[in-house]
Amino acid sequence: MTFAARARDAIGNHQLHVALDRTTATFGTRRFAAIASLDHFETVRDRARAAKMHVLRTLGDSLQRFEQQLIANGVQVHWAENGDAANRIIVEIATGAGVRRVAKSKSMVSEETHLNHALEAAGIAVIETDLGEYIVQLAKDRPSHIIAPIVHMTREQVGRVMTDTLAVPYSDDTQTLAGYARERLREEFLQADMGLSGVNFGVVENGTICLATNEGNGRMITTLPRVHVALMGIEKLVPTMADLDRLLKLLARSATGQKLTVYTTLLRGPRRQGDDCGPEELHVVLLDNGRTLMLAGETAEILGCIRCGACLNACPVYRSVGGHAYGDTYPGPVGAIVTPGLRGIDKFAELPGASSLCGACRDVCPVRLDIPRMLLTLRHEAVERTPQPFALRMGLRAFAQIATRPPLYRRAMSLMRLLLRSRARDGWIHKAPGLASGWTAFRELRAPAAQSFEAQWRARTATKSGS
Amino acid sequence: MARPNGDEERIVSDARAEILGRIERALRTGRIPDAAAADGLARDSSPERRTPAAQPDTARALQTSDGDRFIVEARALGAEVFVEWSADAVRDRLGTLTAGKRVLAWNPDRLPFKCGDLLRGAVLGAAPRAEQARAEVGVTGCHGAIAETGSLALISGPGCSRTVSLLPPVHIALVRRTDLVSSMGEFFAARADAMAQAANCTFVTGPSRTADIELSLTIGVHGPGKVIIILGP
Repeated sequence: MTFAARARDAIGNHQLHVALDRTTATFGTRRFAAIASLDHFETVRDRARAAKMHVLRTLGDSLQRFEQQLIANGVQVHWAENGDAANRIIVEIATGAGVRRVAKSKSMVSEETHLNHALEAAGIAVIETDLGEYIVQLAKDRPSHIIAPIVHMTREQVGRVMTDTLAVPYSDDTQTLAGYARERLREEFLQADMGLSGVNFGVVENGTICLATNEGNGRMITTLPRVHVALMGIEKLVPTMADLDRLLKLLARSATGQKLTVYTTLLRGPRRQGDDCGPEELHVVLLDNGRTLMLAGETAEILGCIRCGACLNACPVYRSVGGHAYGDTYPGPVGAIVTPGLRGIDKFAELPGASSLCGACRDVCPVRLDIPRMLLTLRHEAVERTPQPFALRMGLRAFAQIATRPPLYRRAMSLMRLLLRSRARDGWIHKAPGLASGWTAFRELRAPAAQSFEAQWRARTATKSGS
Repeated sequence: MARPNGDEERIVSDARAEILGRIERALRTGRIPDAAAADGLARDSSPERRTPAAQPDTARALQTSDGDRFIVEARALGAEVFVEWSADAVRDRLGTLTAGKRVLAWNPDRLPFKCGDLLRGAVLGAAPRAEQARAEVGVTGCHGAIAETGSLALISGPGCSRTVSLLPPVHIALVRRTDLVSSMGEFFAARADAMAQAANCTFVTGPSRTADIELSLTIGVHGPGKVIIILGP
């Protein structure tokens, strides 16, 4: 199914619209209020961007230094070239440690590698513990927003899913529904042998792993099970603790409008001597899976993304079609760049087109990623790689011939003016002829003026100099 | 864990070399913008200075103390804050709040204001998990109280089990005035050594919450739904 087809379905779904409008607007307003609470917001943003770009420019060295620090902290480090390799490594860690149950906190990267399938195929039970992700898992659905996985569902839908799968009494009260999850998942936390998480930031200078969560599941799975595996993309580094401080200031504000997430967890290794809890083994899996391909190209900048989701909430296209229409793990403007980057432009050539290039994403991005610029680059690439229809190629060639010859262009334009004016009613064209009819299918075109701008200008300057 | 045989070892190190090689090649062609500015700023580790044009932060402009700011921020998050002026008053308050409850606590010597004496029957972090999980209240001290965000900084270590602030539905934190710092950046700088010694440092910013269902705020999902802070002398 193409993006266009999925988008058309989504646009016809009234319920989805209500849910999307409510969520994205609320997130947007909260973000606005939250950035007002930050002193020198723009400076923090510049510094945060600089930190992420610096890491990318020195990625090889930064990763090696980060690895050294991790090892010094007692962490076991693994490298995975692609998703399958990462899954294999994690299954090996699990089987090696006799793990039967895995409790997961939210991790976009694990969605990217389809880790749950791999673990289940190896006979290991895996349970999502973020409330949204838990419901996604129960409903056998897919997340549709980077930080609010079930923004596409209403509370009634969530209630029905829980009744059907957990045999609990139906409710549409969110506190009750969260209570059901708390009760079920508490047992899972206590029983799990292995916790699996993503990583929000890895600090190069001292090997700190930072996780930001609101519910507390991230703390549970890094505290209770005897093994913890953190799966991270190789780009998730920041140079220093000072940079981490800046990025944390921006992350929660941009994502949910909080000053800080409820639990900001900094991990420096497995449990230390004298500790009563914490994992005995801590593993970090560093994943490439297409990231180095992006690093080599025009969209390298997108690797500075901190996955806050602000660009989704700001994007008029995301707000109309929701996350599922994008067809892969990462939706919205960032997804339109990351998905072709990770999965190949050939399969996702239309995604960069899923944007009006209004620039709202760039305005809200905490690290000022130039998303519109990258979307244009990818559109260019997509067009270059796909054979275009004969009529289009010839049409564009003819246009180029005319447009590069001013006298010819002027004559063609006056013809066009005549033609369009002859079709106008009350100053508007309701139905344009030929190829241009696509434009007027959904909107009207203002009729051109009787004289071109150039002609008017000439007449005006002539009168002035004459007076 | 099974020892990897020679072949697997080779594959593992190959992945590392392969990825680092790919990065080295990628950096020759990749377009990473603002290069000069990025390196310049990244080297400059001085704290942000307020530019004359910047809006003064309201609380700071009013010369609010870290203590006041902390109280305001923590309350805004939904935490309950009691301000007590003597160690005796802190113990009284704690006694009232924990009376008749099953308590899980940091080890007595880790709690300020001699509150350990008060909690003799408390379950400790070394107790079996099942026993800890039955506690109704968790009592901790803290290693820092961040004024800017109303956060409690908890560093793990002997006697300071992470489960205490995590498993029970209510978390009571005992905060000394000397624990107050203005920002997280300040805390990172002041407590770098303690953080380096510990496996875990967690910043708790209000009660556990989620907004996953229709963005409606739901308190107490997995962590404590109630955070009570007793700010002592």
